[in-house]
Parts: sequence; C-alpha cells; structure tokens
Amino acid sequence: MITQMQVKGLMFDPYNNAYIVILRDEDQTDMLPIWVGKSEASSISLALESVAPPRPMTHDFMKAYLDAVDAKVISVVITDLNENTYFAKIHLTYEDSEYTVDSRPSDAIALALRSEAPIFANESVIRKQSSEELDQWLENLKPEDFGKLDS
Amino acid sequence: MMPDETPQSAEPLIELTVNRVVEDPNTDTRILVLSRTDGTPDHFMIWVGASEGESIRRALDTSVTPRPMSHDLVRSFGEHLGITTERVVIRDVKSSTYFATVYLENKGATRTIDARPSDAIALALRCHAPIYATPDVWRRRTGQNLDAWLNKLETKNIGAQEV
Repeated sequence: MITQMQVKGLMFDPYNNAYIVILRDEDQTDMLPIWVGKSEASSISLALESVAPPRPMTHDFMKAYLDAVDAKVISVVITDLNENTYFAKIHLTYEDSEYTVDSRPSDAIALALRSEAPIFANESVIRKQSSEELDQWLENLKPEDFGKLDS
Repeated sequence: MMPDETPQSAEPLIELTVNRVVEDPNTDTRILVLSRTDGTPDHFMIWVGASEGESIRRALDTSVTPRPMSHDLVRSFGEHLGITTERVVIRDVKSSTYFATVYLENKGATRTIDARPSDAIALALRCHAPIYATPDVWRRRTGQNLDAWLNKLETKNIGAQEV
C-alpha cells in the first residue's frame, strides 16, 4: 500500500547540521521526515516557494532534460528505509512506455515538485517513522531552529 | 570530432577538458579549472557551487556513492530512455556568468537544453561527452595568468579572496 504525501515544509536539524523535509499524508496523521543535504534542501525550498532563479538549478536542469525529450514524471514513491538511507523510485512515461528509475528521495521530491507530480510513500516507511520518540523530538525543536534554510 | 552545428560562429569550437576542481576555502564555492585538449597551456576558470563542484570532482575521480547523486540520476534517465548526451558547449558569458548548451541525441533528432556549465559538465563527464567553448567565450575567459594565484590557493596560503 502506498499513501500520497504532501511536502509540509523544511526544517533545520541543528543536531546533525542537516535539513529535514517533512512529508505528511492528507489526513495529517502520518508523517515522514527525510534528512537531506543543504543543496537539495535549497532546491526543494525554491520549488515550494515557486521561485525561479536567474539560471536553472540542478533540478531545473533535470526537468529541462526530461522536457526536451517529452518524457513526463508521473509520480515518485519513497519506497524503503534502510539504516537511515531512504530509497525512492521515479516513474516516467516516455514514448508510450513506462520507466522506473532509482533515486534518492531528495532528488525525487525536488523533481516531483517541479513536475507537479504526486509524491507517495510506502506505508512500511511511514510506520517506521511515526514513533512517539520522533514526535517528541520534533516537539522539542525550538522555534529558532526553524527557517534557517539558506539557499 | 567537430560538431556540425556551431552556434553563432563559423570558427571551430575549442575542446576543453576538466583539469581539476579547486576548493576556495573562503567561500562555499569551487573553482573549475578547464584546459584545452590541443595542449595550448592556458586555463579557463569557472566558479561553481560547492555541491556542483563536488559532483564534478566525483566524476573525475570516478568515485561511486552508495546512492545516485543528482547528476547520476540525469545520466540514469538517459540510460533508461536511450538518450545520448552528445556534447556540451559553453556558448556565452555575460557579467561573469557563463551559459552552456547541452546537446542530446534522441533517435537521430538533436535536442538542446540551456544549462549552467556546472550541470552541463557534471553530466558530460558521466556520459563521456566532449566539452567545448566557443572561441568568443575562450577569448573572454577568466583564468589567464592566474596560475600563481591558484597555486597559492591550493597550498592554502591565501592572500586574496577574489581576483
């Protein structure tokens, strides 16, 4: 089973000096945080804010590559979590065929946001992440830890 | 190999190779040092972002990461869909910003994409595609007589941050 997720926002994780993309399902009950690097976080942030940078950034280039050959992103799926590494699949259509490409969730999300493609997560991945510890950890993050994303 | 569609100029394009990627410890950037494949001892430098610079460095080192990084993913799209990255051309420079074009080949048809040189080169290296600059860009390049400055930077004995 897969659940459609929305990107709710980005947070700075001061403990790991990394960024967290927060995905939530439509009922706002399940959550999936994904740790990403600074440049990926910056790229996701630009897409969320619909900011067009003066020059195409890497994921804009990725989108332009697919557009150039009329390939279309249908959906992306966060498929697995294995020792804190997430796996994702990008589903594409190209010349009446479907293709599935392995990717990091950060690239998949950055591309999905630019392609207006839905983001899904395997329920197994969500379950592993909706523990009380995690909720508590998120609650304990201080407001000043939010919104520190610099692009 | 000479490209058949030379943009904006009848003069032949200049083929380049990535000489190295230099860390600029003062800023969150990398300096991409390009040299000519014909052996002319002149450099061409482009300042790129840290993540793009590291992506180019990984391609030069042919190092493999546990998960595909962004430019590996673009290469993977090409492999899945049967699209060839034919060449990249650094075609223009305006106010110190360089502009590149990526030429894709798809069943005999050529498609072009506007790109930053960093993305174009990161992809070209992964696809073993040649990298060119137009003669005009080569003439207007940054990097002439900067060897001494670069050497200083590489030994982390920095006097000046910018040139």
